[in-house]
Amino acid sequence: MPPFLKNLFAGLRSLLRKQGADREMEEELRSYIESAAEAKMRAGMTREAALRAARIEMGSAEAVKEEIRDAGWERAIESLWQDVRYGARMLRKSPGFTIVIILTLALGIGANCAIFSIVNWLILRPLPISQPKQMTFLAFARGGSTFDNQFSSSELLSIREQSKGVFSAVSGLAFGGSLGGYSGPDGLTVDGTTSPVTAVYVTGNFFSTLGIRPYLGRLLLPSETVDAGADPVVVLSYRYWQTRFRGDPSIVGKQAAINGHSVTIVGIGPRDFLGITPIIDMQAYLPLGMAPIAERIRPDLLGDPKARILCVLARVGSHTSMGQVQAAVAVIGERLAKQFPRPREETRLMARPLRPPGFLNGGDPLPVLSALFLTLAALVLLLAGVNVVNLLLVRASVRGREMAVRAALGAGRGRLVRQLLAESLLLAAGGGIGGFGFGLLAAQTLRSIPLYTDVPLAFDLPFDWRVFAYTFGVALVAGLLVGIVPALRATRSDPTQVLHEGGRGSTGSRERLRGVLVAAQICGALALLSTAGLFIRSLESMRHADLGFDPSHVLNLTVDPNQIGYTQAQGQAFFRTLLDRVRTMPGVVSASLVRNVPLGDDSFAAQITVPGYNPPPGQPFSSVQYNVVSPDYFRTMGMRLLRGRDFTDADNASVSSMAVINQAMAARFWPGGNPLGRTFALANNSARSFTIVGVVNNSRTDAIFGSFQPVFFQPLAQHYSPVMTLQIRSAVRPEAMAGSLVRLIEDLAPSMPVFGIRTMAETLESPNGLLVFELGAEIVASLGLLGLILAVVGVYGVVSYAASQRTREIGIRMAFGARPPEIFRMMYRRTGWVLVAGMCVGLALSSALARLSAGFLVGVKPLDPLTFVTVTAVMALVAMAACYVPARQAMRIDPMEALRHE
Amino acid sequence: MRPKSATLVQGTLDMLILKTLALEPLHGYGISLRIEQMSRGIFRVNPGSLFPAFRRLERAGLLTSEWRSTENNRRAKYYVLTDRGRKQLKTETSEWGKQIAAIARILEAT
Repeated sequence: MPPFLKNLFAGLRSLLRKQGADREMEEELRSYIESAAEAKMRAGMTREAALRAARIEMGSAEAVKEEIRDAGWERAIESLWQDVRYGARMLRKSPGFTIVIILTLALGIGANCAIFSIVNWLILRPLPISQPKQMTFLAFARGGSTFDNQFSSSELLSIREQSKGVFSAVSGLAFGGSLGGYSGPDGLTVDGTTSPVTAVYVTGNFFSTLGIRPYLGRLLLPSETVDAGADPVVVLSYRYWQTRFRGDPSIVGKQAAINGHSVTIVGIGPRDFLGITPIIDMQAYLPLGMAPIAERIRPDLLGDPKARILCVLARVGSHTSMGQVQAAVAVIGERLAKQFPRPREETRLMARPLRPPGFLNGGDPLPVLSALFLTLAALVLLLAGVNVVNLLLVRASVRGREMAVRAALGAGRGRLVRQLLAESLLLAAGGGIGGFGFGLLAAQTLRSIPLYTDVPLAFDLPFDWRVFAYTFGVALVAGLLVGIVPALRATRSDPTQVLHEGGRGSTGSRERLRGVLVAAQICGALALLSTAGLFIRSLESMRHADLGFDPSHVLNLTVDPNQIGYTQAQGQAFFRTLLDRVRTMPGVVSASLVRNVPLGDDSFAAQITVPGYNPPPGQPFSSVQYNVVSPDYFRTMGMRLLRGRDFTDADNASVSSMAVINQAMAARFWPGGNPLGRTFALANNSARSFTIVGVVNNSRTDAIFGSFQPVFFQPLAQHYSPVMTLQIRSAVRPEAMAGSLVRLIEDLAPSMPVFGIRTMAETLESPNGLLVFELGAEIVASLGLLGLILAVVGVYGVVSYAASQRTREIGIRMAFGARPPEIFRMMYRRTGWVLVAGMCVGLALSSALARLSAGFLVGVKPLDPLTFVTVTAVMALVAMAACYVPARQAMRIDPMEALRHE
Repeated sequence: MRPKSATLVQGTLDMLILKTLALEPLHGYGISLRIEQMSRGIFRVNPGSLFPAFRRLERAGLLTSEWRSTENNRRAKYYVLTDRGRKQLKTETSEWGKQIAAIARILEAT
């Protein structure tokens, strides 16, 4: 055993078995005395005299024992433990004080804990896979999104072949929704019920590359690969299995169907594994060879080098540096581009870490947002901490005598400071526990927010060891910071002076310290409030912005005939019948179908060419959004037809393709002219040409902010899409219609999956709508409110204590003729400059934070004058009010009583 | 009364303990006796510094201890020099030799 371990164990033994260690020491000393006495007896002393002499030579056995104890490291722990116990006793003696401080700290720490749990969820937590740092994904650098399907099966094989030196494994995956002609969720039928599922098709080595084990059954095997339909098996995610099947183990081994094609459920993925992103659950994994069949794509899909359907994941070999990887990957990329021609903008192949923000686009906002929120939370803790410092200072002055007595009895200053720090660390530990509780509560509140989306977003804010460590790290730092100043002050004074004067020392430096505390509180609260103000204004501006449609009284409900294996003809027939039946239902004002609900989960874009329109240089095509709708869509959504006409039932596959466009599209391609009757064509298929039959007003599509995008609408009858959302405008509450609509669909097609039942108003609160902005505003506003409350309490506390300290002085002034209003003014003058100083620093801090927030604000400038003026005024008023009460009390001091006091 | 003893040079007690144990394991009193005898009565180490030194050396891994019976059939805690202790004694002895020589040169300088 190495000596330090021996030392450690010996120390621990004597700590834990104190009595045993004591007894051994005692025995050793006794044997020493016996031996010494024997020697003396040999020299002729009597036994009694010898023993006595030996004892005298040793001196106090207790003192010796004490010195032996001092020789080991465990002594420091013991005295720390003493400090802690003494501290706990002192705190128990004044429970009110203790509870107030712990609660204050808990609020501040809780805010940090909650915010950190969000940051941890978003960007810190690694994927629950083996050696997550080794996992990378490969992509050619290009503008915009980088985590994309850029590779064909042949390219995957080529990469795997060429990268053997740097990657220990290379696997590919394809997202079910992005494969076929139809984009949308897949349907999983089990026991006759079909529900949407987010499916991915992966190479057989996908799970072994990630290095994870199944929760139940098995995962996909390396032998299950690309032969079309050879391995009809599916692995479900733990989360999906829990949500849909309530963790029923008999699901494993069952026959199921994916989009109507039979597969066997062979296993359940590991517990926390959501796939290759930490926030969106990939619910079903199938071998890549199942993709052409289940997604109903041509069977040669995987052999086609132009079918770039795969994302490529690679595990870096254990002795390879990222530099080596990038160099090797760049070479592979060049060779690949020669072998399989690629778009020109895709030049350099890169390996990126498989974790956010790696898979997000360039200019990732999450780190900035995280930094902003953590800063705000830290400000809240600062305010809480300042309150606690003030309380501790008050207490320190009360305990001045205790400290002086202990110093007079020989306690060194270091010992006293350590004692006081032990107390404040105890308080911080309590605050940490409470803060963790508040954090859990806040996270629980956030988790319960409805998301209004069919994307399996895992908004679960897990409280793992990172959150735990952060919370208690914050508590420790807070404990030291709030403890150190009062501890140094309390132990600074000269004991004789304190004992003589009864604790009334000079007050000058105390005044200064209080000034700093008040200014810090004003500054922190102002910064918190101004940021909250900006976020709220931004949210309000979006709430009141023109949507271009009327969301009230509209119910959405999505059906997907593809998920139960309907053909296009069956699907079209189903949609026609559905609309006919729904339109006759009582309460229905208007009904229609749409592929992409505004601000919903999906939006489509197409590249088009427009005769007579010259796109800007460098952009051969123009990108516009498109949507697929049934007749009456514009009426249901309350949009206005500005020119031309809506689609009718006669606009079907037997007539030539047509489109309704929005104003933005008309203005872009036919400025000043009449677009009716004009045409445009798809860039990749010039045979698909659309004649414009109508123009509608601009409306929100994929985002709730920004300028209106050009959009064209195609009739469903001419462009089949299986995933359609039925929208009805009702005369009654739209929610009330849901039940009868679901029953109607059950009548028409018993196993048809129905999902996404929500009102259009709810859809506005979806992740693509206001959700993120609402969450942001709510979080920042809560922090702001917390900050304001802490600041008011704090300023009041500091000022009123300062006033009480000056009772004597005020009494003397009054005795010499100062009148109450003058005292009142004097009290205000003293705090006035502190408030002004706090405000100035606060405004500087606010504008720095505003710059940090600029990227998240819509419809409001970062240095919005209205916000800043309002917040400053509110802060000034609140601070004045907090000073008013103590100042008025000071004014009412009776000079005689003040002087007789003490 | 106990004769007045010379104070030990700071930091040499550890070395002396190691030295007395280099021959054979001894108990506490034995060690103090041995130091006294070897120094011809010049150094008398009191238990208040002896026992903390044992604890220190034991923790540093230079000594181990075990309970044994004495020649008079009493139980006593015997201290045993470890290999590390032996090595430490060697380096300390040579270091000490150098220091003594250096001090002597300074004192004898004219």
